[in-house]
Parts: sequence; C-alpha cells; structure tokens
Amino acid sequence: MLALHDVHKTFLMGETQVHALRGVSLELPRGQFSVIMGHSGSGKSTLMHLAGSLDVPTSGRVEYGGLDLTTLTSRERAEFRSSDVGFVFQKYNLVSNLTAMENVALPLLLRNVTTKQANAQAREALETVGLQDRVTHRPSKLSGGEQQRVAIARALVNDPTMILADEPTGNLDTATGERILELLGQLTSDEKMVLVVTHNPEIAEIADLVVYLRDGKVESQRFQEVTR
Amino acid sequence: MTFNLLKLALKNIRSRRTRSWLTILGVLVGVTAVVALLSIGTGVQQAVLQQFEDIGYDIILIAPTNPGSVARGSMSGFVPGGSMPTGGLFAGRMAAQSAAQNSSSEGTSGGTFSPENLGNPATTEPADNATDEFDVEQLRAAIGRTATPSLDTSLLLTQVPQLIEAGTLGTQIQPIETETTSGFLRVSTPSLDFLEAFPSVLGGFQIASGTFFTNTTENQVIVGARSADLLQMTIGDSISINNIPFTVVGILEASDQVTEEDEVSDGALSGQGLAQNLGTANSADLVLSGLTNTDDSLFVLSERASEVLVGRAMSAVTITRVEAGASISDTKDAINVAIGLQGSSGNPISIQEVADEIQGTLSLIETVLASIAAVALIVGGVGLMNTMYTAVLERTREIGILKSVGARDGQVMILFLVDSGLMGFIGGVLGLVLGSTLSLLGSSLLGPSLGVGSFTPIIGGWLVSGVLVFSFILGALSGVWPAWRASRLNPVDALAAE
Repeated sequence: MLALHDVHKTFLMGETQVHALRGVSLELPRGQFSVIMGHSGSGKSTLMHLAGSLDVPTSGRVEYGGLDLTTLTSRERAEFRSSDVGFVFQKYNLVSNLTAMENVALPLLLRNVTTKQANAQAREALETVGLQDRVTHRPSKLSGGEQQRVAIARALVNDPTMILADEPTGNLDTATGERILELLGQLTSDEKMVLVVTHNPEIAEIADLVVYLRDGKVESQRFQEVTR
Repeated sequence: MTFNLLKLALKNIRSRRTRSWLTILGVLVGVTAVVALLSIGTGVQQAVLQQFEDIGYDIILIAPTNPGSVARGSMSGFVPGGSMPTGGLFAGRMAAQSAAQNSSSEGTSGGTFSPENLGNPATTEPADNATDEFDVEQLRAAIGRTATPSLDTSLLLTQVPQLIEAGTLGTQIQPIETETTSGFLRVSTPSLDFLEAFPSVLGGFQIASGTFFTNTTENQVIVGARSADLLQMTIGDSISINNIPFTVVGILEASDQVTEEDEVSDGALSGQGLAQNLGTANSADLVLSGLTNTDDSLFVLSERASEVLVGRAMSAVTITRVEAGASISDTKDAINVAIGLQGSSGNPISIQEVADEIQGTLSLIETVLASIAAVALIVGGVGLMNTMYTAVLERTREIGILKSVGARDGQVMILFLVDSGLMGFIGGVLGLVLGSTLSLLGSSLLGPSLGVGSFTPIIGGWLVSGVLVFSFILGALSGVWPAWRASRLNPVDALAAE
C-alpha cells in the first residue's frame, strides 16, 4: 500500500513560493488501478513524484509497503526507484541515442545485470507491449504510441510493484491512447499497483480508485467497480 | 556496472560525433606536442651522449688557457678567395674564444672584412656579401698568434700515474690554395701515435678513399669529407698549404656531425659572423665539432707538420686517457699540478663534465619545450571541460531519465567521468600515434640542424603509458566538475528540462 500522511510540498518558482500539496493524506492499495485527477497546477504530478520517490515532501510522510520513503537517503531512494517503481511519462522520456531495446535495458544495466541478460529481458518486455519487431529502432524512428509502449516496457522490465504514469495518453491520438490504457490496465495484478495521473476523465472510467485533487488538496476520492 | 557505464559513455561519444571529435582534437594536439617534443628531446640527448660514449668517458682534455694562444681552438670551414666560383665566403664553426677575446684590445676596429684583408694574395675581389663591419685585425691576430708551448706528454704520464695514455693534437689555421680556389682552412696535425691511441677522438678516422698516411717523409694530407667536396679534391691531387705543396692520399668518411656549413648553404657568412664565431666557442664545441667532426679539416701528420708547417699559430690540445677505476676528479687535480710543474697553463676537462654540461642544457631545453606543450595539453583539457559542461546542460533531461530509472548520483557522475575520460584517452592514443609519427619524420629534419646528425626519437614505455594514463586522467579531471553538477541535479527538475 502507498500511504501519504499529511504531505506538504512547497517549492520556489522564481521568487514565488508555490504550495503544490497542502496536507494530502491518501491510501492507495496494491493490486489496484488508481487515477489521480485534477486541473493543471492541482499538484497531481507532484504527488506522483513523491510516490515514486523522485522527490521528497516538505513535510509529512510517504510510506510504501511499510517503508517510510521520507527517511531514505538519496542513494536508497535511487535503489527504491530501481527495484520497486516504473515510470511512464507523457513525453515518453526515452534516451534518444539508444535503441528501443537499449532504452528498455537501461534500468537493468544500472543494476549490475549483464548486457546479455539485460537485452534478453528487454526483448521480453518489448514483446509484452507488442514491439518485438522494433527492438533496434531509435526513438526518432518510432511513432508516439510506439515510443510510449517502449516507455511502458522500460517501466516493466525491472518487475516493479508500483507503476506510475503521468498523462500517459496525453500526446497520443484516441485509438492509440486506448491501447495504452488497455495495456496499463492489464498490468494491474495482486502484486502490482498502477497509479495514473491525468486530467482525462475517460481514464477514470477504468480505474478502481479515483482521487480528485484541487489546489493541492484531496477534494474527493471514490472506489468503483470496473471490468477490465 | 562500470563496463555497462563505459558502453553507455561510448554511445554518447559516438552519438555526438562532431563535437566529440573536436574535443578529442584539442587533447590530441596537446598530446602530439608533448610526445613529439619529449621523444625528440630524449632522442637528441641519447644521440649526444652516444657521441661522448664513442669518445670515451675516460678521456680528459687539456685545453691551453694561455692568453697568447689560439687556445681551445677548433676552427673548421674554409675562407676562400680568388677564383671561387660563387664569389662568396664560406666558413664553418670557428672557435678561438680566448684569442678573439684577448686580442680585441690589440686590434683596430671598423675595418671591412674581405679575403684580401686576411693577406691572401690570390684574392682579386672582395666577396659580395662580406661587407659587414668587423674587426679585421682581431681575426688576423687570432689566426697569426704564436702558439702556446704544448705539454710534454711523456713527462705528464710520469707526473700523473693515473694516466695511461697522453697525446697532443695540434690545430692550425692555414692558407690553402688549389687549382681552383684559395682561402683558409683548419689543419689538424695528429701524430701517428696519437691516431693509434685516440682513434675515437677523431671520429674513428675512417678512410673513405685512398690510403692512410704511408710515411712521415713525404708531404701527405688526408682530407675531411666536406673539405674534399669544397675543394673538389680527389686522390693524388695537389694542394698548397701555407705555400707548401701536399699530395692528397686519403679522403675521410663523412662523419655524422653537422657544422654551420649547412646554415651557410649559399656560401654566405658575413665577416661579422666569422668574427663572432671566433668568440663563441666553448669546451663543448671543441669536443663536438673540433675533435669528433673531421669533415671540415685537413690532416697532416705532426711529424711532417713540425718540419714544414711552421710559423703559424697552433692550438695544441692535450688528450689523455685515465686508467680504469681511477677517480677523474683526483686525476684532474694531479694534472693541474703537473701543468704547473711544466710551467705551462691549461684547463683539464673530462668528457664526463662536458657530457654533463650538455645534458644539463638539453634537459633544460626539453623541460621548457615540454612545459609549453603541457600548456597546449591543458588548453585541450579546458576545451574538454567546456564540452562536458555543455553536455551536462544538453543532457539534463537524460540525467533525469537515468535517475528516474534508478541511477544513483555516483553512477551519473561516473558516466560523465568515463565519458570525458574516454575522450581524453582517445585523444591520448591518437596524439601518441601522431606525435610518434611526427617525431620520426622530424628527427631526420631536425638532426642536422641540431648538430647531432641522424638520431632516433625515443618513444619508451614510460612515455606511452604516461601519456595514456595522463590523458585519461586529464580527461576525467576535466569532467569532474560537470559530472558533479550532473550528479547533483534534482531528478524532477532534470526531467522538466527542455
């Protein structure tokens, strides 16, 4: 379970102090597809960064599986991201000079896995997202949907327990976006939780839990029964 | 993991080819300069030391210091007059330091140099390019001075028990005349015993054509290789030395030595330059050009010269060989005592001292040149730092991606360090290859102008490994600051970068 306890996050934007999160408390269970919704500036991306330990809260606690992420050192947070988290970004965030397979293998290469083993796992992950015939293509040679699938494969390759997606369909056409959502939905299992941050209400329709943020606070949250 | 990072760094270098190569070029230039200068410098040092080794470190020279002599005189080159086809003035290295310096008070200054002024009757016209102002009387005095009485070598051997051999090599500046030309040249007058005892001192005295001296009763002359060319001499030709006819019986092999003749290839050296040369020689010149260089001399046996070549100044250098195991320093002290006892004057100097003196100078020059090259290398390093810093700015988003997939700060830093270190290393390897190639090409061009003939640049293991390690470290160090900045980037901020 991912739990946030009275989390505040402020940062400076120029000389202005921005309160991105103002006392957010949430519990997001494992094995569910959760969606955080809200307008731009509501703090949903900040929440995702804190959940994935990319950032630390100004105050409050973030726990995952009983582990207090706010007490971790920079190195421990990196190891946590490496072993437990898979990120999918709106802009895909692939390394432009690496092939699809190399991009997917990257998290493994940073974990002492041999190149051969990393490549084998990367191929497998690319097969999972249906890109087995695109392994040697660089990002610039892939469509937006394909790039996002590569990003999902990269998020999966470490077999993480938490997949965090920030507007995963934001740059995609409707049909491709639907396929990506379907793929993310399929990833949800007893051991994995998927958390999608979006302002797209259609995504909320397939979520087990929908949380609405407004001005850095939880406005509402609801569980719903969905069939995926 | 480091291997994986190495491969990632290589990919980065390859993906930014143009900039990477330009950066590598900066390091390459610096390394090339360092390698070329150090290998050439070491090669020259070795070549020079080899010359001294050939002469022998057990040799002590005793150069006369009497103010009235053409002391320490090695005078090579030819001062032609008359019908010399080029009408120019040839001269090589002329060393008569003390004579020139001491005679300045006697001479009158302000004259114009020409072969005529040297008293050569065959001269009909002054040389076109020999009109520089210079002290004619000074030169005349230097050439015409009375010789210092040389040491009694037999007595010296008795007085200094550490010496096992001793001999005297006389050198005179004599008027020379052939069928086609006339002028002045150095005439060395070794004895037969001297040639046998100290062959190495005269560069081996290898006969290229003709024969060795066959007797001491005929006027025989052996001609140095360059002098033979200059005078257009062949075996059997007649040459007038101080108006006495001599027959050329042998021509020597060309030595590796190079004289300033190369610098006056047009046959032009001003009278001023000739006068300056009289005052610039030192003991090292004496050994290097005056003794080991036989190319510009004529050789007449002293047994014969003492009978027919009289009335000209003679620089008499006494050469001795020290017994194996004896202290050079103690022997020099004993020689000084003996010189005093014989009522003569002289300055004993060992080959080791001369070698040390020259090696010290060469090392200093090498250090200065290497320092200049090192500056080029540092500039290359700064260029590399600039590239890496720009790369950090450009790759900020990539750094964010790496951190989001689990890269630790240290890994990001290593990645950038390996990146810059690799560029330094590649620059080092290429610079090593280019520097070695340039030094090999340059050695054949530089050898003659450095006065050591041909030499092989030394590219030792220490240079190869040193350059490779240093260039990698330089590259890595240049990348430390940018890499540190990269590693400290906040992943969220980095991911937000455009």
